[in-house]
Amino acid sequence: MAHIADQLKAEGNALFKSGDYSGAEAAYTAAIARYAQNPLLFTNRAFARLKLRAWDGVLDDCLHSINLLADNFKAYYYLAEAQLALNHPHEALSSALTAYEQVLRVTPPSANVHPISQLVLKCKKAKWEARERERARGRGQLLAELEDALDMLTQGEVGQVQAALDRGEMGAVEAEERRKEVLEAGRKKLEECRSVFAIADPEHGERREVPDWLVDNISFEVMHDPVMTKTGHSYERSTLIEHLKRSPTDPLTREPLTVNDLRPNLALKQACADFLENNKGWVVDW
Amino acid sequence: MLGPKRLQKELVKIQGPLAPGITLVSAEDLQSWYMDVQVMDNPIYSNEVYRLHFRFSNNYPIEAPEVVFVRDESHPIPIHPHIYSNGIICLDLLDSAGWSPVHNVESVCVSIQSMLTGNTKRERPPGDAEFVRSNRQRPKDINFLYHDTTV
Repeated sequence: MAHIADQLKAEGNALFKSGDYSGAEAAYTAAIARYAQNPLLFTNRAFARLKLRAWDGVLDDCLHSINLLADNFKAYYYLAEAQLALNHPHEALSSALTAYEQVLRVTPPSANVHPISQLVLKCKKAKWEARERERARGRGQLLAELEDALDMLTQGEVGQVQAALDRGEMGAVEAEERRKEVLEAGRKKLEECRSVFAIADPEHGERREVPDWLVDNISFEVMHDPVMTKTGHSYERSTLIEHLKRSPTDPLTREPLTVNDLRPNLALKQACADFLENNKGWVVDW
Repeated sequence: MLGPKRLQKELVKIQGPLAPGITLVSAEDLQSWYMDVQVMDNPIYSNEVYRLHFRFSNNYPIEAPEVVFVRDESHPIPIHPHIYSNGIICLDLLDSAGWSPVHNVESVCVSIQSMLTGNTKRERPPGDAEFVRSNRQRPKDINFLYHDTTV
């Protein structure tokens, strides 16, 4: 049975390569019907379904695959992509981080380190955006309530002027003047209130700049897993690995340098994470 | 695919102030840029402006850019023992073994500028005419011999 499944898998891979993702999915499905113990069949089908944007199917396949094989960065990678597409940024981030942790242990360094590293950043951004939307909605509601309350206050004062006029304590001309003053004061309060909210909006007047020490000198992007070389300079792990694959030297001094010489820079990692966390979801696109 | 994103950011930087004598001419896309270089303190090169053509692969800055001098009516090819008369430059940092991803367009221009500033010989590399006639290779594929590191 298993070797027929392997044949079907090879067929699926060929179809996938030619861009026929539905065909590939069908071939993997047939393979799984023959032999359901191979985690690769599920990850391959997940990848095909990812291309077909069949997100729920991707989730199922990835979870199946992870059940069969726990150390499975591809399954976590596709899982994160699907969770992101389904708008579950928290789950997506945790899957992407697991994928990243696992892909780093692969020797020789896998070509997937960089895309997974990018996906981690994308998930962080999605998480930030979701929180920001929530905040904006909360703020919008608060503003609406405040506007209503201010409006009631003004209407109340207008009512008092009317009552004073009715009781004959105020002449018609004076009452009309008072009414205008009250309405004008109310309008000003509303305006003031709206502008205070507008200033508090993070979209407003943000200085869109990232400090140099958080930026990887190779990709020019914000780091999320900085590593230090012997010279004390830090780089994003995934881009430095790309460089070391081509040339096992320190980018600054050209002294010999290998992946094993790299040390995580934990304080800087925390600084980058804080920077991303604190209201700066735009940083990822920056 | 680091290239486009990193170049986008370099482009923003390079539109700001640059080292003296270095200017951006055009960067119409993220594959090919032109830069002008002037040499201040060397009579061999005074009063001339040289034009460099940068070509980037998608893998820049992991891979070196291809950098050559280009000639037109107002931009000659500078005379130098490491610069062929067709504009090909023999400089270790442009070669895949000497390149490092922490270099950038501006730092490459500055290195080339200082290679000109330090030169005292009005000469082309040995075998220039033959090389220019016969070379069909892309600059990065050429295996230069850095036999003379004093220039």
